[in-house]
Amino acid sequence: MSTPVIHAEGLTKVFGNVRALDGLDLTVRPGEVHGFLGPNGAGKSTTLRVLLGLMKATSGHVELFGGDPWRDGPRLHRRLAYVAGDVALWPGLTGGQCLDVLGATHGGIDERRRLDLVGRFELDPTKRVRDYSKGNRQKVALIAALAADAELLLLDEPTSGLDPLMEQAFQQCVRERRADGVTVLLSSHIMAEVEALADRVSIIRRGRTVISGTLADLRRHTRTAVHAVTVADPCGLVDAEGVADYQRERLDEQVDSRFTIDPAHLDGVIGRLHAASIHTLTVTPPSLGTLFLQNYGETLDPDEGASNDSREEASR
Amino acid sequence: MSVRSLTVQDGAHGLGTMLRIVGRIQRRSALIWMFTLSASMVGTAASIAALYDTAAKIHTYATAVTTGKALVAINGKVEGIDSLGGVIQDEFGFLAAFLLPLLGISLAARATRREEESGRLELLLAGRIARRDPTLAALLVATATIVTTAMLFAVGLAICGVPLAGSLLYALSLGALAFVFAGLAALLAQLTLHARGVYTWSLIALAVSYALRGVGEVTNTSITWLSPLGWAEKAAPFGDQRWWALTIPVAAGLALGAAALRLASRRDLGSALVRGRAGPDRANARLRNPIGLAIWIHRPATLGWLAGGVLLTGMMGALSQQLLDAMTGNPALADALGIANSRPIDGLVAATQLYLAVIAAGYVIGAIGTLRTEEAEGRLEARLSGTVSRARLLASHALVVLGGLMTIVLGSSLVLGLATALPVGDTAELAPILKSGLAYLPAELILGGLALAVYGLRPRLFGAAWAGYAGMAFIAFIGPGLKFRQWIVDLSPTTHVGNPPVGAIQSEALIVMTAVAVALTAGGLAAFRRRGIPQG
Repeated sequence: MSTPVIHAEGLTKVFGNVRALDGLDLTVRPGEVHGFLGPNGAGKSTTLRVLLGLMKATSGHVELFGGDPWRDGPRLHRRLAYVAGDVALWPGLTGGQCLDVLGATHGGIDERRRLDLVGRFELDPTKRVRDYSKGNRQKVALIAALAADAELLLLDEPTSGLDPLMEQAFQQCVRERRADGVTVLLSSHIMAEVEALADRVSIIRRGRTVISGTLADLRRHTRTAVHAVTVADPCGLVDAEGVADYQRERLDEQVDSRFTIDPAHLDGVIGRLHAASIHTLTVTPPSLGTLFLQNYGETLDPDEGASNDSREEASR
Repeated sequence: MSVRSLTVQDGAHGLGTMLRIVGRIQRRSALIWMFTLSASMVGTAASIAALYDTAAKIHTYATAVTTGKALVAINGKVEGIDSLGGVIQDEFGFLAAFLLPLLGISLAARATRREEESGRLELLLAGRIARRDPTLAALLVATATIVTTAMLFAVGLAICGVPLAGSLLYALSLGALAFVFAGLAALLAQLTLHARGVYTWSLIALAVSYALRGVGEVTNTSITWLSPLGWAEKAAPFGDQRWWALTIPVAAGLALGAAALRLASRRDLGSALVRGRAGPDRANARLRNPIGLAIWIHRPATLGWLAGGVLLTGMMGALSQQLLDAMTGNPALADALGIANSRPIDGLVAATQLYLAVIAAGYVIGAIGTLRTEEAEGRLEARLSGTVSRARLLASHALVVLGGLMTIVLGSSLVLGLATALPVGDTAELAPILKSGLAYLPAELILGGLALAVYGLRPRLFGAAWAGYAGMAFIAFIGPGLKFRQWIVDLSPTTHVGNPPVGAIQSEALIVMTAVAVALTAGGLAAFRRRGIPQG
């Protein structure tokens, strides 16, 4: 396997008496979009700053493109572009000027892509930054990073402040960059965004990696939620192999059943439901939100665990 | 409960909440202002009381500074200068003319447009707070701070032995001066889109007031009455004591405040009369380069401090002939300026260069402080995530600040040289003037090195650099007049330059100071390369 773009092992970072990072591991392989998930304050931004060599880890090992970012930052930075969590621009410059200044800060900027992105994100580059809304400032930082001639994009909560249309445009751009072979580390707490983009995911909690792998890997270990309305009472479901959290309610002439199922035993259970004559059936694979919450030790009602939009998709 | 009483109660509740919020925002800065202003006023008063302890000494001082019109243009015309209070008013006049308006401006601007610009006001106005409440609360808190400061002034002056009525009137006239500018800033906060604009336009108004008073005093016309600084002076606390003159600034402040409130209750949140225009959609090659961007970042401050330097040297130069005549007529004036026993023109240049050094050092510290702002607001992080190393970034800024410093020192010195040469008709003084200006560079660089060291090590303690600056400015401005002890005077790096062109330039001291400045800069750079970024 080729050398990872980012490799961090056992990172710790202590600020006074706060342990911002507490043994964090992270590996990002070339060409992948890696989702970096965690709630606010979990240590995502601190990790990115250590990766950039802006901060020195208290202990642990970190490699960026096989080099040491603390010692060799500027040389390694030539190959990446970064969007900080709190986008900060020069209030007196116009958006277009900031794009060029940020472009010069990174290794270089692709002029055609810059022009294209300004159009796609509907940015007015002649307006002063101090007159921009938060979303427009975010667009400037995003365009600068996406237009950069970079092998790696480090994006810290990049869509905060963007409207849903611009979020779509952003996702499309990230897919295009990935198709070009660019590696992306996407820090976020928005599950849907990571789910839509990421090949692999690392979830961190209190400065430590709790779980890491592909979405399929992570899903394999979690339960699928089933909600079925049948004409007859599906018999034997309570004791069927792999079924848990079984709840049953008798409606007028139908039976409403809800339960969670181990993915390996899904087939048998659907057979039983079929025998009872299915009226409606909703099967919800675990969303990243569920995975995330499971890793945070929350116990949830099977229905609540699934996010609304993925449920809609499943019932369609 | 009737509908009407409910509204009234609601309104009072909103204002009460807003007052508590503004009070909390302003607490720290208001306390610092009150303390600094009263301390420098009482310190000045006490030293003058100790120094001019007989009627004869006061009389000598009074005749000295009223000969010719030069000092009148700078400090204003003090009626009843032949008294302890009069001497204090004259000595404190220059500082007071800037500090009290600044007090009013900063109190009003901080609590109004700055809060609106940051979006915090939007949150508050969504609650039970009326649109005009924030402005009203800002003005009330500013007024309370100003009144308290004035009371501290009055008590301090009375303790130093100044007659009570005069002390009170003087303190109130200064308070009223601050009040006018608080009202003006509150109004400007309604008109401009950003807090920066409030400061810029208020300071322009202050410069105009200062010039109007100067012109009025020199030409002996009623133009003085057009200036808020003139109103404070015309109260004549140690002369005729015109209590009625206080009504002018109070009425002006109230009118400005009322206009601000009217606008605040009528306009949309976030709107402004003066809005930004479109700019270029591409950055030129210069901006893309670290040094070019640093020049762009430091340019406004450089121009501002340069304007201050040119204003000072231009005025001193223009008035040089009168000042020289005055000093020939009365050696006590030279004594008060700390330039006795020398060629009068040299004395004038030496005093001006010392003042210019204070301006230049202020620029250097402010410029290094800009780096702290860049870091705190996250822009430094964005820059350092690129291909520019920390050393190169800091070095570009240091280089640009050094260039700015040279521009300010040489530009202002050139103006001084030309302004003194014009009436005299020869440029023989030009070279010594430029040389004297350059001789102060190491002293200014020590302050810059101190600022860089603090920034590199602990940016949070940047106030320490300003504290060092305040000490230096105090010694330079008030030291000679008050005859401080030598060890206190020695604390300021400017003391060791040698007071050129009156005294010889102390080359050895300059070398030592340069070495110290370089060491401090290197230390700051080394620390900056080792610490985490950002650090607030």
